[in-house]
Amino acid sequence: MSRSVWKGPFVDMYLIKKAQAVKNSGRNDVIKTWSRRSTILPEFVGLTFGVHNGKKHIPVTVNENMVGHKFGEFSPTRTYKGHNADKKTS
Amino acid sequence: MARIAGVNVPSNKRLVIALSYIYGIGNKFSNDICSTTNIDKNKRVNQLTEDEIIKIRECIDKNYIVEGDLRRTVSSNIKRLTDLGCYRGLRHRNKLPVRGQRTHTNARTRKGKAIPIAGKKKAI
Repeated sequence: MSRSVWKGPFVDMYLIKKAQAVKNSGRNDVIKTWSRRSTILPEFVGLTFGVHNGKKHIPVTVNENMVGHKFGEFSPTRTYKGHNADKKTS
Repeated sequence: MARIAGVNVPSNKRLVIALSYIYGIGNKFSNDICSTTNIDKNKRVNQLTEDEIIKIRECIDKNYIVEGDLRRTVSSNIKRLTDLGCYRGLRHRNKLPVRGQRTHTNARTRKGKAIPIAGKKKAI
């Protein structure tokens, strides 16, 4: 089920403010955020966000294709490097 | 033998069934095509007149994405996800289920045939 259009995309308000501030300042700071649930808006294109994965902030540089996705999609929360057995066989 | 939508050659089957041989057209779309073109869907394909076949061809060309084009759009959609580096893209890259299914057991369609764990038999 997709979200109703009349609600608009969900973004945490503080994120919008932070992004505005960084944009106005002109510097290319990493915006640290824990808000993995926020949608990536067109305004965020070009900015860099540090998206928390539960342990650290993963830098995500937003490009046009990412618009409409959520921030959480770009900072994986699990690490899996494969089993030992897999390496032996291959 | 009739050629509809490029390479497809459905045989002497009922029209609804024959149309569903085309990649991208299933039960629903073939029924839709039959009703929009006003052709009896129980007619065999080899009984169709030239006009009717042309009608069907035009209808498919206009309204549906089919065969090669559809395959290309699907694979380009997947490629977009993998290039983005988002979670769904990673799952496609690792050939694991994309939509949050369990992988502890099952998920054999994506994972392929089960590989026995090497060196487990000796323990017994």
